[in-house]
Amino acid sequence: MVIKSRELGNVVIFDIQGEIIRTDTAQEALHSLVQAQLDRGRRNVLLDLGGVEFIDSFGVGQILASYISTQNLGGKLKLCRISNKLLLIFQITMLHKVLDIHEDCDRALESFGKT
Amino acid sequence: MADRRLERFLKRFGDVRGHEARAAQSLSAFFFLITATFYIIKPVKESFLIGFAAPRWWSYADLATALLIGFVVALNARLLDRLPRRTYLTASLLFFIASILVFWYVFGIRLGGLVSSPVADASGMLFFLWAQDFVSASWPAPVLAFSLWADVFIAMSVTQFWISVNDIFDPHQAKRLVGLFVTGGLFGGIAGASAAALMTFARVIEADDLLLVCPVLLALAVVMVNVIYAGQRKFDASAGDERLAASPKVGILESSRIVRRDRYLRLLAAMVAAAIVAGSLINYQFKTVVKSFYQNDQTRTSFIAVFFLAILVVSAAIHLLTTGRVLKSYGIRWAIAVAPAVLLAASATVFLIPAGAMLIWALAVRGGDKMFDNTLSQSVRELLYVPVAADVKYKAKVFIDVFVNKFATGLAAGLFLVLQYVRQFDYRPDTLSGKLAVIQEIGVLALAVLALWLVLTRLVYGKYPAELKKDLRRIWKPGQEVLDDNLDTRLVSDVFEAIKNRDRSEALYLMNIFDLVKANSLTPEMKELLGIKRDEIKARNMDALFESGSAGSLYPGLADENIQREIDLIYLLPSYQKIMDENLGRIVGSSSDVDRIEAANSICRMAPSSPTMDALAKLLQDPSPDVVLYALNSAAVHRRPEHAPLVLRQLANPMAVGDAQTALAAYGPDAVDLVAPLLRSAGEPPEVRRAVPEVLARIGTQEAADLLVTELARRRDDMEQPLVEALSKIRAERPRVRFREQDLRPELRFLIRKACDVLLDPPGPPDAAKAALDIRLRRVFDLLTLLYPREDIVNDYQHILQGTPRSVDYALEHLDNLLDREDKELLFPLIEDLPDRERVLRLKKALRLK
Repeated sequence: MVIKSRELGNVVIFDIQGEIIRTDTAQEALHSLVQAQLDRGRRNVLLDLGGVEFIDSFGVGQILASYISTQNLGGKLKLCRISNKLLLIFQITMLHKVLDIHEDCDRALESFGKT
Repeated sequence: MADRRLERFLKRFGDVRGHEARAAQSLSAFFFLITATFYIIKPVKESFLIGFAAPRWWSYADLATALLIGFVVALNARLLDRLPRRTYLTASLLFFIASILVFWYVFGIRLGGLVSSPVADASGMLFFLWAQDFVSASWPAPVLAFSLWADVFIAMSVTQFWISVNDIFDPHQAKRLVGLFVTGGLFGGIAGASAAALMTFARVIEADDLLLVCPVLLALAVVMVNVIYAGQRKFDASAGDERLAASPKVGILESSRIVRRDRYLRLLAAMVAAAIVAGSLINYQFKTVVKSFYQNDQTRTSFIAVFFLAILVVSAAIHLLTTGRVLKSYGIRWAIAVAPAVLLAASATVFLIPAGAMLIWALAVRGGDKMFDNTLSQSVRELLYVPVAADVKYKAKVFIDVFVNKFATGLAAGLFLVLQYVRQFDYRPDTLSGKLAVIQEIGVLALAVLALWLVLTRLVYGKYPAELKKDLRRIWKPGQEVLDDNLDTRLVSDVFEAIKNRDRSEALYLMNIFDLVKANSLTPEMKELLGIKRDEIKARNMDALFESGSAGSLYPGLADENIQREIDLIYLLPSYQKIMDENLGRIVGSSSDVDRIEAANSICRMAPSSPTMDALAKLLQDPSPDVVLYALNSAAVHRRPEHAPLVLRQLANPMAVGDAQTALAAYGPDAVDLVAPLLRSAGEPPEVRRAVPEVLARIGTQEAADLLVTELARRRDDMEQPLVEALSKIRAERPRVRFREQDLRPELRFLIRKACDVLLDPPGPPDAAKAALDIRLRRVFDLLTLLYPREDIVNDYQHILQGTPRSVDYALEHLDNLLDREDKELLFPLIEDLPDRERVLRLKKALRLK
């Protein structure tokens, strides 16, 4: 998994590539990266999952932990460019009712301005 | 530049900020002119009433005021409804100017033999003769009418002033500026009373001619009203504020209904009424004493003017020196009770004084009552309206300030009349001892009412914080709460594991599906996926997720309760256990991850035989994080002491820490002793120590909470965040757990001081400093939830972060009444909207730094 972060306006975007899964290779977890941005005072986080092939329960845990940390500070965490396959799993598990999921990232970015 | 100078000047009297300065100055000037006018009228009114009317007429005057005020309020309401605020205030001031000239003319006819007439011809002379005859025949009715008029004037103009304040400023602004306005009022009173005292004392002017000064002052008030509302219109146009545009309508019936329906407003009205009744009874005592000591009109008017002047000077000094400090340091809680408590004690001394000291006693008690009324009580009364919703406040305030106020005056007059009749005051000897007996008898009644007033202050304050927070609703839910309300996170995790395992091992996949079915927590969509509408699923391009031959077609079978029971029974079969005991070691030693994962998963359903538990121990040390995940789940089911150290070791594994925390929490209260050494040991890796508080939070016992507080007291920077978050979690989920104030208070202060340090010595550029301060404040508020009602603190925090200006004010006011004094002094400069320079100054003052 490769995670790159960038800022656009008041939104921190995480471009994620690969799989968000439990692995034995040492790497910084998504949640700690999000937390670091929250600690810097950022409150709007967008996870661009366009390059994500698979997520396991660990990956979902990371996304949910990031959501909780952001929400607790009154911030917003949104997801964009999620694959159909992942979207269906998210729908089955009701995650789509909690997480703000957008088809494309531009709309997701726009929606930060509206909320 | 001029604005800054004005702001600096006004800051001496109140907490004035930026653009408020001009409006605050104009409103203070408005109040100054009103009170100056009143304190010129007041000695004339009091002196004439005492001198020209028998004591029973004092009651009649008050009763008449009380009755008339209802009509006046109704008229006020109608005019407020129909006229723009600026027009209404201007018109009512012009009315008062005209009527004061009429009274001056009438008194001139009686007292000075005034011969001038509006029209100096024959018809004018006729009118004058008729007027002279009429005034003489009806005397002292004009004095009573003047008394009535003066009461209406002060009630209306003061109410109109506070309505203007409400129009221009929001509650928190008003609270900051109330000191400035009261100062303006006090200085106005001093100016008016000084003018009256000097002119009558030096006999520059006759008592009734004092009234001629008033129209000039009121004309200036008219100018001020127009300046205020003209400036406000400009401000509204630029800020889009609709406060003036949407002035609420006021009707007496509706106002009374609003007060009757609301317990807080009822108590507030009762408290105001008790204060008025007590004050009126004290005033009757005062008048009785003054009447017996001063017979001459001019001397009496001069004495009363000097008395009011002295009260106002003392009031101004006390107000400037103490009111703000008392309110800031002790809040409304104690400030509200000061007046009734002191007056109760002072009034009780009437039974101890000799007749010769009666005048001094009356001056002290009446002076005390008026002084409180001018300073602390007035400020407190206005602040008590702060939590009331804007539209309700407006209507209730008019009703209480005018109608209840005068009703109480009438009630006091009625009580005085009854007492006078029953105790036959008119037939008492006109000696000092006779008058002392009279004021002692009034004193019994006054003491009872003062005691009632004191009780009512406690009842009102009891409701005050609840009123403040009534409109403070949560802005957002905590993240965990949102997830708990909408998701079964365990199910989500299981579904993702099932999908992941589908390609890895069919057996493991079936185990996952079996668990999901058995838990009976599948969503309809999931069931659909498992076999009912497989074609549709394919059409949605779900690859081969649940294709034929896998769980999709097995779902109906797995869902069968008999099959579920059979599978459970298989796990309990001795033969199954024997075979598994013999083979688990081999499976666990397999080089295949899948074999080991299947074993780790199955162990949670197996009986805890020794070989099975040994196998689990090995799996807990497996190099594969997937194996460890399932092993941790099985360890959480069996909760064997021998596995605890292995589970603890996984706290250092970033891939397994969450599941390790869950497994340890499953051990229950026993796990506190297991994890405590990790928390205390400096030799443990930081990530392990930082993972422990969450375990304790999930255990959530009193012992776990106490351990967290103890660790917090060690004040290690790296542990602060997890400890505070864990404590906050316990507070949220375990309301029965108690936190000792003596343990937590020092830690709270320590955290607030750390937040202050961030502001005084920023760790980097402004953005970084703000972020650091946000983190610190978050921890402070998390700790506050342990000492104060959690819901209130969370709401206040959210509104301070993201509320509207008005809701931020309510949140601050609520905290102001909730928090400990020292906590407030340190915390408020951090959370109030202040200019940077002033914030730093206040912090330094609070921290006692130079």
